[in-house]
Amino acid sequence: MLKLAFKLLLRDWRAGELTLLLASLIVAVSTVTTITLFTDRLQRALVLESASFIAADRVISSPRPIANEFMEKATELGLTQSRTLSFLSMAFVQNRSQFTAVKAVDENYPLRGRLIAGPAPFESGSPVSQGPVPGEVWMESRLFPSLGLSPGDHIELGMASFPATRVLLKEPDRGGGFSAAGPRILMNLLDVEATKVVQPGSRLTYRYLFAGEPQQLDTFEKWAGPRLADDSRLIGAREGAQSVGDALQRAESFLLLGGLLGVVLAGVAIALSAQRYSTRHFDHVAILKTLGATPVNIDSLFFFIFMVIGLTATAVGSLVGYLMQVGVITVLGPLIPVELPLPGVKPIWVGMITGMICLLSFAFPPLQKLRSADPMRVIRRDVEPSRINDALAYLAGGGGTLALMWWYSGDLTLTLLLFSGGLVVAAVLLLIAYWFIHSGRVIGMQAGSSWRLALAGMQRRGRENAVQILTFGLAIMLLLVLFLVRTSLIKEWQNQIPENAPNHFALNILPGDVASIRSLLTANDVKAQPLYPMIRGGIRSINGKTAQARKDNRQAAQGRAPRASSGRSLTWSSQLPPENEVVEGAWWDDDYVGPALVSIEQDYATSNAIRIGDSLVFVIEGRELSAEVSNIRTVVWNNLQPNFYIILSPGSLGDFPSTYMTSFFLAPGQKLVLNELIRAHPTMTVLEVDALIEQINSIITQVSLAIEFVSVLILASGAMVLLASVQASMDERMRQFAILRTLGASQRLVLGSLSIEFLALGFFAGLLAAIGAEFTVFMLETQVFDLIYSPTLALWVVGPLLGAGLIGVIGVAATRSLVSQSPVSVLRELA
Amino acid sequence: MIKASEVRKTVITGEGELTILKGINLEINYGESVAVVGASGSGKTTLLSLLAGLDTPTSGRICLDTDRILTDMDEEARARVRADLVGFVFQTFQLLGSLTALENVMLPAELRGEASAQSNASEFLARVGLSSREKHYPRQLSGGEQQRVAIARAFASSPKILFADEPTGNLDTRTGEIIIDLLFSLNAEFATTLVLVTHDERIADRCDRSIVMEAGQIAGAISSNEDQMVC
Repeated sequence: MLKLAFKLLLRDWRAGELTLLLASLIVAVSTVTTITLFTDRLQRALVLESASFIAADRVISSPRPIANEFMEKATELGLTQSRTLSFLSMAFVQNRSQFTAVKAVDENYPLRGRLIAGPAPFESGSPVSQGPVPGEVWMESRLFPSLGLSPGDHIELGMASFPATRVLLKEPDRGGGFSAAGPRILMNLLDVEATKVVQPGSRLTYRYLFAGEPQQLDTFEKWAGPRLADDSRLIGAREGAQSVGDALQRAESFLLLGGLLGVVLAGVAIALSAQRYSTRHFDHVAILKTLGATPVNIDSLFFFIFMVIGLTATAVGSLVGYLMQVGVITVLGPLIPVELPLPGVKPIWVGMITGMICLLSFAFPPLQKLRSADPMRVIRRDVEPSRINDALAYLAGGGGTLALMWWYSGDLTLTLLLFSGGLVVAAVLLLIAYWFIHSGRVIGMQAGSSWRLALAGMQRRGRENAVQILTFGLAIMLLLVLFLVRTSLIKEWQNQIPENAPNHFALNILPGDVASIRSLLTANDVKAQPLYPMIRGGIRSINGKTAQARKDNRQAAQGRAPRASSGRSLTWSSQLPPENEVVEGAWWDDDYVGPALVSIEQDYATSNAIRIGDSLVFVIEGRELSAEVSNIRTVVWNNLQPNFYIILSPGSLGDFPSTYMTSFFLAPGQKLVLNELIRAHPTMTVLEVDALIEQINSIITQVSLAIEFVSVLILASGAMVLLASVQASMDERMRQFAILRTLGASQRLVLGSLSIEFLALGFFAGLLAAIGAEFTVFMLETQVFDLIYSPTLALWVVGPLLGAGLIGVIGVAATRSLVSQSPVSVLRELA
Repeated sequence: MIKASEVRKTVITGEGELTILKGINLEINYGESVAVVGASGSGKTTLLSLLAGLDTPTSGRICLDTDRILTDMDEEARARVRADLVGFVFQTFQLLGSLTALENVMLPAELRGEASAQSNASEFLARVGLSSREKHYPRQLSGGEQQRVAIARAFASSPKILFADEPTGNLDTRTGEIIIDLLFSLNAEFATTLVLVTHDERIADRCDRSIVMEAGQIAGAISSNEDQMVC
């Protein structure tokens, strides 16, 4: 029997019966393999890249040294380690001095990311494997002119003096925060003692860096987390770069969704081509049965054939997927700023298993139909297989899709939601498709001959055409959805850090310096945000109950924002800051004068159970201030502008001494303005976040590239579905047109009618796709990607035109050669 | 060889129940050739399909080769009976389009797992005069040639019973005669029991016996030796 099966397989292959099925399966496997391989590599690269934000995979940050047991545990787990100590200190050179942010590092620093150093200030440098050796320091470019130094000259730090041998151009974990509030000096950890800067009461940040394999890191995290003191923090790569973390998470969801769509599309193509294979082999099976083949024989014959197809397709698909991924990386390589780790074996397995699941769930049900082929069909052609098998086919296809979605996402709830949503959309679209077909009759009666023929044809095969419109529509819909979500995501990321977004924060500005700083920035053509007064204070009580006591009543789930009892930066403003939105209550008038009012950020209000009308008592500089909550507002935290949890009404903080803050954008060539600013206002602190922004932008570029690439792959799967769908309906159409040609219909009439039929099918499918896409994009953007949805009007034009164009071209291209053949040969071909 | 007792066939149609065969009793002996004749819709083809085990009667009993009771069997067992005992020749030839002439003839032997399928098939193609067309696909053959391939395929498996459904129905008179000559000569040579459905009286005359079907019943039988209607 195996020999016969092999012969039948070869003969089918020779006759071209398997081409489309095999191609669909290969596309499914190679799409999944390529996407999985590419995203696997990219994801690993991105995790490394985001790890570079903290110069490690995990960091423990603490104001004092942590117990040795943490290091011992890390050693036991095989993690590599490094230590840094950051503090603020004055650097002196003869009569000049400068407030600097010093970081002392050991010989292992950095564990992730790279240090870049150079020989001269403001020039390019090269990566170096470790920081300064003992006895030397490196300094940021602008410190050299600021202190009037050249590389090699000595500076004094505390009680010690060091030559500044190199220029520090980039450190991976520069980031923002207090320790970065000044130009950087990098020194060796062994030299700290000599400076005698570290005294009881010094403000210090000890950072313990760890790197290793994900599993070891997880074990370490689980072990260390509960043992850490309250003032110590364990930081992972994602917490290290919140804005990148969000982008990464969305990108992962998108790639996952893209992969899923690719598989579903390829699955539909497989089901369609298997259906066609099964229909075309129906008579074969009937003949085989009359010749004595038992149902078991038929099962084993076609099981063998399909297993061979499955194995061939998974092998070829994996190879094609691997090569495509290599090709893509070769092409995109120069654009990807990080080095991609080598691909693992897992993605290949994922591709192969996907291929087999696709085959089992999408191709076997139509094959099962063959088993039930009645041998009576050799005598009476109208004997059809039972309808139960159709239900089985849908059930198996649905089950397979569900299983794959679950497997990919690992989230049963999300899978069930998406799947049931998809079913509802499909059912509604099917109803509309029926309606489209039905409405064709009225239009068709008035049309010319080709039109009448085409529309009459569509009506006659109403059920098949409705299903076909649905298939076309779903394929186009998925492509539109992918394109729209991709566009929104990339736009959102680009908006997240707009060009010329502020990349420096200036803090501790004395009230007397406000005017001169403003004029200095204007004179240097620097675009700055408004200057906000800032004063440190905490909430003592809410409605008479102490904040400390209320702390225990907070609900854990709501605790995203800081506790009310901890100190915060307070400000006052007559106007609502940009990108803040009042969600409850109302903002005070510009000229408001009266008892102190306060505006609270939404998460902060929720976390601390603060409501409109509550009476808050603040403690500022040891004095109390009462204010009533007049509104709750939302804040866009990652817009790199001064943002506040608490804003008071103008005049309420009038009696209290305050400093000011602002943020501004400095282009790379304007960096020296900082020196001028700091020299003129030595008490001012500047946080430089330009390096951080550059890193975020580089990651967003990579993720966008990945998304563009996945979109192209899905497009290939979509095209395959369209082709399979056109092919699946071809036999019936050609039989009818061969008969018409026999009866004297001109080639032009037949081709015209076919074109109209395909164009109309495509148009309706495109319209359906627009309806479905609008709804799905709404759901995805609001529920999964957390984006702001806005309807896409162009969709309603592009959808139908794209549908008509695609289906029209594919349909006519596939039928053209057959129409020009003689009717007899077409009929014989189909016999 | 073939025995049918009280065979009935009823189908459900849109307009209700339709009885196609109304209690057929029939016996066909080893080596006998029997023509089933009658008007269109009289139930001839249905009778043939039931006797060959392609379909199952609503009631009654059909027995082949003395002890193979088709009506007690499932599709699996009936398929084995067809493989062991039965050959077919159809009006529409029923060759597999993706197989060459030779491969079509080899098919029954391949289904039985016989090793000598190819040489045997070649020999039978030669017997029907198509040695030179072994590698041709059905669509490259004329109707007469396709039917000759079908005959070669039917006899290549050395069946005890051959069922032929309007074997010349799709052929012109001259080709039809050639095909019938071929069919009868091979039938005589292999002493096969032949059951043949036809409209053509001349073909029916060449059989040992004719059964006349009328409205789902056997209206009479004609023995060609005596050329006499028995009612």
